[in-house]
Amino acid sequence: MLSQVFHDIEKKIITSLKDNPKQTPEILQNSTGLSPDQIRRGIEWLKLKELANVDESKSSIISLGKNGKESLEKGLPERRLLDLLENGPKKLNHLQKELGPIFGPAMGLCKKNNWIETTSDQVSSIFASNDELPGEKTLKQIGNEQLPKSLIDADDLSALLKRPDFVVEEIVKTKQITLTDSAKSINLDASSGGIDVEAKVPEVFVARTHPLKDTIDEIREIFVTLGFSEIYGNMTQSSFWNFDALFTPQDHPARELQDTFYLDGISAKKIATADQIKKVSESHKKNWRYQWDINEARKMVLRTHTTCVTIKHLAETKPDEARVFSLGRVFRNEKVSYKHLVEFNQIEGVVVGKDANLRNLMGIQREFYKRIGITKIKFWPTFFPYTEPSLQTMVYNERLGKWVELFGMGIFRPEVTKPLGITKPVLAWGGGIERIAMLKYSLDDVREFYNNNLSWLRSATKCQ
Amino acid sequence: MPVVELSYSSLQKLIGKTSKKQIADSLPFLGLDIESEDKDLVRIEYSPNRPDYSTDFGIALGIQGLLGIKTGAIKLKIKKSKQYSISVKPDVAKVRPYVTGIVAKNGKIDDKTIKQLMAMQEDLHFGIGRKRKKSSIGIHDLDKIQFPLVYTTSDRKHKFIPLNSEKELSINEILETTEVGRDYGGLLANFTKMPLILDANKETVSFPPIINAAVTTVTTKTRNLFVEVTGINKADTEDMLSVVATILQSAGFSLEAVQISGAKNSTPKLAERKMTVSPLLINQTLGLNLNTSKIVSSLKKSRLDASAKGKNIVCTIPAYRFDIFGPMDLVEEVALGYGIQNLEPTLSPSQTLGQTNPISLQLKSLSQTMIGLGYLEALNSSLTSKRVLYEMANRDPKTIISVRDSKSQEHTILRDSVLPGLLENLSKNIHESYPQKLFETGTVFSSDNPISETMNLSAVSAHQDANFTEIKSVLQSTLKTGFDLEIKTKTTEHPTFEKGHCADVMIDDKKVGIIGEINSKIIENYKIRVPVIGFEISLSESILKSL
Repeated sequence: MLSQVFHDIEKKIITSLKDNPKQTPEILQNSTGLSPDQIRRGIEWLKLKELANVDESKSSIISLGKNGKESLEKGLPERRLLDLLENGPKKLNHLQKELGPIFGPAMGLCKKNNWIETTSDQVSSIFASNDELPGEKTLKQIGNEQLPKSLIDADDLSALLKRPDFVVEEIVKTKQITLTDSAKSINLDASSGGIDVEAKVPEVFVARTHPLKDTIDEIREIFVTLGFSEIYGNMTQSSFWNFDALFTPQDHPARELQDTFYLDGISAKKIATADQIKKVSESHKKNWRYQWDINEARKMVLRTHTTCVTIKHLAETKPDEARVFSLGRVFRNEKVSYKHLVEFNQIEGVVVGKDANLRNLMGIQREFYKRIGITKIKFWPTFFPYTEPSLQTMVYNERLGKWVELFGMGIFRPEVTKPLGITKPVLAWGGGIERIAMLKYSLDDVREFYNNNLSWLRSATKCQ
Repeated sequence: MPVVELSYSSLQKLIGKTSKKQIADSLPFLGLDIESEDKDLVRIEYSPNRPDYSTDFGIALGIQGLLGIKTGAIKLKIKKSKQYSISVKPDVAKVRPYVTGIVAKNGKIDDKTIKQLMAMQEDLHFGIGRKRKKSSIGIHDLDKIQFPLVYTTSDRKHKFIPLNSEKELSINEILETTEVGRDYGGLLANFTKMPLILDANKETVSFPPIINAAVTTVTTKTRNLFVEVTGINKADTEDMLSVVATILQSAGFSLEAVQISGAKNSTPKLAERKMTVSPLLINQTLGLNLNTSKIVSSLKKSRLDASAKGKNIVCTIPAYRFDIFGPMDLVEEVALGYGIQNLEPTLSPSQTLGQTNPISLQLKSLSQTMIGLGYLEALNSSLTSKRVLYEMANRDPKTIISVRDSKSQEHTILRDSVLPGLLENLSKNIHESYPQKLFETGTVFSSDNPISETMNLSAVSAHQDANFTEIKSVLQSTLKTGFDLEIKTKTTEHPTFEKGHCADVMIDDKKVGIIGEINSKIIENYKIRVPVIGFEISLSESILKSL
């Protein structure tokens, strides 16, 4: 067999068990001189190495009860009765006085066993006084000790077990440690000078990127390989680019304080070119029939989507052909819950091209999902103020056993593109990244991504 | 998104021959999300641009179309009548200039229908009514009203018994003591004259946009309805009326016209519109090659009427479909009628080459460097709190950028520093094993015409032997490896750091950040039991290269 390296504790336990093959931990403690904790650990190590067997068993321990102890000192009640009768018959009332409370039980037992004869007022013994009474042997055997039930003659014990509080029976669990066959052949003297390469070692934790960042990077990479270039934009935006340029009327419920974070008392002086402002406001007035207010458009908000970054980019560059995306934090004034964060990441991209169509848009989505490992998807119609037609992707969550909504998409409305001088169709899509990361890391609570809980960060599997 | 609760069995009755499964399968393809189901009951989320989907009558019309049971536009049959009229007084012009209305007769109204009508009314108020500002609706028991009506104003002392009340209240009392009065009274705050609809006996019918009179309350005994819509824009009031009229007709009522006249008001036409769309636009947008008859049948499935005219399609749009702005909306109607499930995704080759933003690439390299030095990446919100940013970190707030009316106390101001978040993270992990080393790259905000956003890097290290030398070594090595930059440290004081153990970080004699041992008071406040060291530097100005 291979040479193994043992800890001193293990060596002492093995040596002791070779001398005395079956021991309880308590006995091992005595035989090895180790502490209870060292014995516990040593046994655990040997068990893991399959060198020791631990058999747990239950056993009964017998000790004397109150009446048993009294009997040990003075004799069993029937013995005391028979002793009184040794020198001839006695009067009943005399016996009663002598024996006190045990008179009744003693008389009953002796009569039942035909050890005595009684007349109307006299009792005489017909018992051979040298014989042992049932239970007497056991009583002496137990004495003031606690004895395993297995060591006691069961018949004789039963005489006492039946009687009230003569013996007390306790069930105790005991462990018996034995060596396995392979352990029996270990030669402890043949020390190799090696180390215990099979032993457990302390944990170290890797430094790593945040799991959500891994997902973000993976998604960024996928879109770059699909021909998209990444653009950056600010998280703080004027309402003009976040809403007005996207055909969301100024009195639309989504623009209210309860959904959108407005920066307190901050308005942008310059929001867009005079021409952009003029044409966007005209489109609002004509289609939504209300008084468009430039001061409303100046109000700074925390962007509610990254679409404001792409539309601004398109308005500046007016490309005939383009694939760009922007990726970053967006904000919603919502109550934080396992489903909702006030701040989360969104990716949002566009394809501009004269032949760009809805089926292309769906194809890009399908390819993206395929690359992140989601193959079961379908498309449903939906509504967004700035796209027409509009769709959403539903993906099947195997773990939850249901369809969940992921990215939204559509073609920018002419009411959005025309005022900004964008002439080619613009396919747009986007959605939250945390939702995808939740699928990847099997999380049910989105807040975990921002808790920075080290036990999770240190344990989440990197390659999902 | 508004939600409506329906029952499958009543939908089945309205739609005609169809199974529960067919209905459930069709709903998403009308753009309706099933939020939850419980046996016969189903809760459906619908888009605010389709208020006709706020009742089972409207949804039944949609499913009939999609399944081909009944297709084409729903035509309103409005009986001409001189019996019902509203005359409008010029004094309403300032406060709420427009009124319109319709009569709906001989319908059956059970509790469920009343509930649905109420829900529809609320959704209309909230959505296209913009919280009753643009337009609002009143539905009344026709038989309790003596025509002709007058739409006029009165002062705030005018009294009547409003809905859900047993006694007469003045308009002021209504605005002050009733819930709707308090919620919507603001719309009338700038006016002394209040809009009112009175009947021939000078009885109050309605006090728009706040509340109806109690006398006209609709109950299960009501058979005939009078619907009025008031608003600040004529087209909006008629849009709203058209939805209600369509739903009531679908619910089995016969419609009769109400004559409206005076002060620029007129009887509503609720007429269909024509719109032309080219098959080319449809096929180009959807990536299909549909012939005209397929396009026409798809539009009909979307409950519109259409016919080919030359090379184009002329579409007839009922009044309640005011969500249709232009031809692109018709393209979507074709897609829905054709069936989104029938659109096969195609992957077209990209005409462009993709590129990661150089900033992203540099930040990624920086992360790799920090990770190489044993630091774990943390992520914190940019919207945080005064407690984390200033109180716990013992920093002086300079100019705070805060958001209005946040629903969360933890998220009220934009961060101007990343480090305090990392200290907060350490405090939440005091039961985890040490050393703990964290870093974060993130945007910080400052007030600057109106707001400037820059990228910072911060790191903290917490363990028994943490000291200034360690953290300076880390920063020095990071910037050397990442950007071939040399740093110098210059003694300074900062409330977050321990006095005498804190320095400004300098690159080419320019301050880019701060480094040192964290003040022991802060560590104590956070109940951290080991020394903490850290730094924060600004990446945007001197470090990241913009390409």
